[in-house]
Amino acid sequence: MGKVNYQHLLVLIVRLALTGIFVMAALPKIKDPVAFATSVNAFQVVGPELSNWIALFLPWLELILGIGILLPQIRSSSGILIAALLVVFIGLHTSAWMRGLEISCGCFGTESAKESATNYLWLIARNTMLLAVCILVILKDRTSNSRVSN
Amino acid sequence: MFRFIREFAIITALTTCGAAFSLSSGLMPLPWKEPELAAGEIRLKDVQVLDVIWIDARSKMDYDSGHTSEAILINESNWDDGILNLMNVWLINARPIVVYCSSAQCNSSKRIATQLRDALPEAEVYSLKGGWEAWEK
Repeated sequence: MGKVNYQHLLVLIVRLALTGIFVMAALPKIKDPVAFATSVNAFQVVGPELSNWIALFLPWLELILGIGILLPQIRSSSGILIAALLVVFIGLHTSAWMRGLEISCGCFGTESAKESATNYLWLIARNTMLLAVCILVILKDRTSNSRVSN
Repeated sequence: MFRFIREFAIITALTTCGAAFSLSSGLMPLPWKEPELAAGEIRLKDVQVLDVIWIDARSKMDYDSGHTSEAILINESNWDDGILNLMNVWLINARPIVVYCSSAQCNSSKRIATQLRDALPEAEVYSLKGGWEAWEK
């Protein structure tokens, strides 16, 4: 019984941490999407027009997913989509690192991005860690859902 | 499976509402709209806070009838003389170079700016958005 409570507590802490990180990442970008579009464009993966679309939708998606991982109605899909986003971010940072791009990440808006500018190793390590805890949450959700189904 | 589709639909709907809010509140310009500045262009208000070398890419007649302070005339017909005059100024004091033509519709400032970038790869070269018309306003 005690172990079950400990697991629930751990998963809840992970959920709250993911919520905090994704909401904090989303809000500055929602406030200044134009600056975020510049950051997206700097990765040289998509053109300027598609960068604008990404800058318009991605911050809101991060906000909804960040909150959604706490809400029973959408938490399973939120977890999966957060994991998918993290995989994309890891891929983008790896690609930028390999191409030797000297750019800011834009992860938490433009200001904080300067602090972690071009420190790709840290960015990839951080996102990999987040991905790992996110997978933990997804697995926990699956277990919970299976129990409910049974 | 149905549960996931429903959840994805909820997330998509909420994200779309948020994006619509960003557009309607003016936080984000329409993504399909032309950018305010084309590559290599600069606005007059941004030029005014810089110490720049002006290049007039209009005809000699237009240049004689009025030009910006200490502007150097460089167009297709006097390229060699113009580039020599520019070099004399730029080598003494390297500054950003701003090229203008008569209006927003003319393309000669962009052409001259491109040629200057080739001739002076180390120089910072812009074409003025709105051209001489913007300056006169």
